Amino acid sequence: MAFVLTHLVPGDPAVANLGDRASADPVAVRIYREHFGLDKPLPVQYFVYLGNLLHGDLGESEQSQRPVSTDLAEYIPATAELAITSIVLACLLGITLGVIAALNRNRLSDQIIRVVSLGGMSTPQFWLALVALYIFFYKLSWVPGSGRLDAIVLPPPHLTGLFTIDSLAAGQFDVFANSIQHLILPACVLAAFNMGLFTRFTRSAVLEVLENDYVRTARAKGLPELTVVFRHILRAASPPILTVVGLAFGNVMTGTVLVENIFSWPGIGQYSYRSATALDLPAIVGVMLFVAIVYILVNMVVDILYGIIDPRVQLA
Amino acid sequence: MSVGAAVSNPLASAWRLIPGAWRQPLTVVGGILAVSWLLIALLAPLISPYDPLAQSAALYQAPSAAHLMGTDELGRDVFSRVLWGARISIPLAMLLVALAFTIGGTLGGLAGYLGGWVDELVMRGADFVFAVPTILLAMAVVAALGPGLFHAVLAVVLVSWPGHARVVRGLVRTTMESEYVAVGRLLGSPTHRALTVDVLPNIAGPVIVLAALEIGNAILLLSALSFLGLGARPPAAEWGSMVSTGAEHFEAWWMGDFPGLAIVSVVLAFNLLGDSLRDAFDPKAIIKARGA
Amino acid sequence: MTTLLSVRDLRVWLDTARGPLPIVDGVSFDISAGQVFGLAGESGSGKTITALALLGLLPAGARTGGSAILDGRDLMTMRTAQRRRTRGREVAMVFQDPMSSLHPMLTIERQLTEHLRYQLGMSRKEADERAVELLTEVRIPNPEAALRGHPHQFSGGMRQRIQIAIALACEPRLLVADEPTTALDVTVQAGILRLLHRLCQEKDLAVMLITHDLGVLSALADTVTVMYAGRVVESGPTAQVMGRSRHPYTRGLVDSLPHPEAADRALVPIAGEPAGPESRPAGCAFHPRCRYMEPPCATAVPPLIRIDDGREMACPVDPLVASLAR
Repeated sequence: MAFVLTHLVPGDPAVANLGDRASADPVAVRIYREHFGLDKPLPVQYFVYLGNLLHGDLGESEQSQRPVSTDLAEYIPATAELAITSIVLACLLGITLGVIAALNRNRLSDQIIRVVSLGGMSTPQFWLALVALYIFFYKLSWVPGSGRLDAIVLPPPHLTGLFTIDSLAAGQFDVFANSIQHLILPACVLAAFNMGLFTRFTRSAVLEVLENDYVRTARAKGLPELTVVFRHILRAASPPILTVVGLAFGNVMTGTVLVENIFSWPGIGQYSYRSATALDLPAIVGVMLFVAIVYILVNMVVDILYGIIDPRVQLA
Repeated sequence: MSVGAAVSNPLASAWRLIPGAWRQPLTVVGGILAVSWLLIALLAPLISPYDPLAQSAALYQAPSAAHLMGTDELGRDVFSRVLWGARISIPLAMLLVALAFTIGGTLGGLAGYLGGWVDELVMRGADFVFAVPTILLAMAVVAALGPGLFHAVLAVVLVSWPGHARVVRGLVRTTMESEYVAVGRLLGSPTHRALTVDVLPNIAGPVIVLAALEIGNAILLLSALSFLGLGARPPAAEWGSMVSTGAEHFEAWWMGDFPGLAIVSVVLAFNLLGDSLRDAFDPKAIIKARGA
Repeated sequence: MTTLLSVRDLRVWLDTARGPLPIVDGVSFDISAGQVFGLAGESGSGKTITALALLGLLPAGARTGGSAILDGRDLMTMRTAQRRRTRGREVAMVFQDPMSSLHPMLTIERQLTEHLRYQLGMSRKEADERAVELLTEVRIPNPEAALRGHPHQFSGGMRQRIQIAIALACEPRLLVADEPTTALDVTVQAGILRLLHRLCQEKDLAVMLITHDLGVLSALADTVTVMYAGRVVESGPTAQVMGRSRHPYTRGLVDSLPHPEAADRALVPIAGEPAGPESRPAGCAFHPRCRYMEPPCATAVPPLIRIDDGREMACPVDPLVASLAR
């Protein structure tokens, strides 16, 4: 599917990659095409591509001149670290705010939370990233501006590729602190949109649950309010929240393209931007495949969690 | 006789509720912001103090009485450029949502009404677009067609129709399965009549809500593409590309921050409106307001 | 026989833009241990709100006045934390709809033991043992297996029994049962009612039975209070109020019941609709529907007057009341 789509688009990858000067030279274009097999008819290209895919070979990136799988292996951990951190932050904040808003429906705190959450969803991430950089890096110098680690800090021994986890595993606490410093600002910027989204969804899910008689039953037992909220209300409200959190793995990619470019974060977002603007088809297809796999995996996990949360699901 | 009118007409009830929704202060704020921006977009040529493209020798001026939002690297008045930016983002976003709704709504409506393989095909297509991150697809499309605002709009339409298709399909489906359409069919009114008389008024509410929220998203995505250099081209006064230029001149914060705030306020206005309308159209909220 | 709960002039209202909107308007009654107290009335008469007010579970925005003395302490003026401790331990409640009153995603064990552990500080093992005891008491077959189940695996009647077990867990002294049988099949209803009656006698428990079903009350209740539009219209021993009802509204209710010995007698419905809180008429709220209406009924709220046979009633037209008032 991804293959078809990328070949449907007009535009000549050879021209896009070689630049104006080289594409004026027919010899250069021909050599380039032969190198990537672009001179062969499309069906042949397709079967070659499929065959390679089965062997786990995504082809060679036209930009980096390296196998796409190598590129992906290098960039995925950086994005995973950023995306997961931001989604965890967004969950903590968004669900808390959503519960508070629902329990105080139409009061002042609900209105304030409404502005904050809609504000999070209305702020362009690229601008938020710049403002955050301006304040916390340029003016206050609280955090480093770019990259995953300071230039003089060596990455921890490779284990997961997530520097925070790897450095802890290796006992390098200074590296851990450094990676957290680098991670925190882009993760917060990336979390803003999903925080708003989670808040809105949690609010409406909790409002729906609040109308149920079993909430009154729980209160009639004399349970403390926090137990009622967390054990009874949030549990019942969690399926729709879970669905949105699953979907957030999709929209967090959009954010990473912008945020990684601004924070020079060497991840999939930057890679896909470079590949897309250069029409580097094998790389684009590789990224799309990766995202599709994440999408499928996340959906599977969400389905499994549904079954754990709600015993009625297994019957259906 | 019109069964739909006799049984219940959520749209009519929702309209009666809107005055109540307007009493919410935040809805009023959103409404005022949105109307102001629409007026700015209409009147920008009349109210902006300078030509948005006119360069001057006054480079990097901080905000002052002469230049409310300062000047940029070519001495252009940022305030005028922000006002003119409304003429790009808002009409394009509306056009884009209209296009996406026409395409998505038609496909979704057909899928919901016909069912079968049409339904299967449309929804699988929608799933595919959903699975690919919007910006990635949009970037690829723009890269293939070449950068430019119009191509960016096409790209965003291409990635945003599935949302409309899903909503319309779901609404058509539930309405067709609902009792009063079934009653209408029993009374002998043809299904296409049911679709226009009963279904349309019922889906209008959610579609209006979706449109309001989608305009906000469209503005965000368009400006993001422009920020990445894939949308508006210089020297056009487009907010996303103005933020992008501002990013290269950190000390002149006014160059990027005012266009950024413009985006926030427009998108927030539409989000506030959409959110309030959703409360008003929510059938449960309607039941509650009736005191049942 | 000692009075357990004494409710005086209980009021519940909403503050609206047009001033206070009364929902429950000055209700008084006494409940004794080991007895079933019946609270009757059509929907919208304020029965459920009265019960929720006693537990402090009213929806947000509702204001309350009056007193409800339990053991010398006033439930209505208690502080929130203290009030919460009375729930479950002093006053417990069973709700109408067994389908929605149990949490669908939590095990029966969790729902039956969480307040045992929190309120009484039991260990998990103690609470589980007590849970089995409770389920046996309410006649749930195979209680150990039932503990591991979820609500959707039980029938409506079984769920209502589980609800009762949950309410009884912390050994409350007053059990409020709000239409406990309305949502159930007739055959299941009798079982639940027998269970309530048995618990009431064995445990010296006071039961406040809220229902619109006078048949249930006349079979089960020791005393009955009839409410209309947020006020008490007649109250007293069941034999008096149900058997020889005097108030036109109570009589209307009794006449609209099918009679077992006179099956062919036509049922007499009460004309008109009950008045909701927004549209309550002035004076006696029942006057627009009353066959005996006289001009003063439309202007003055009739006071509740005690007459010699042990009942209290609010109807100035009634000859007995009229003779007392003179």
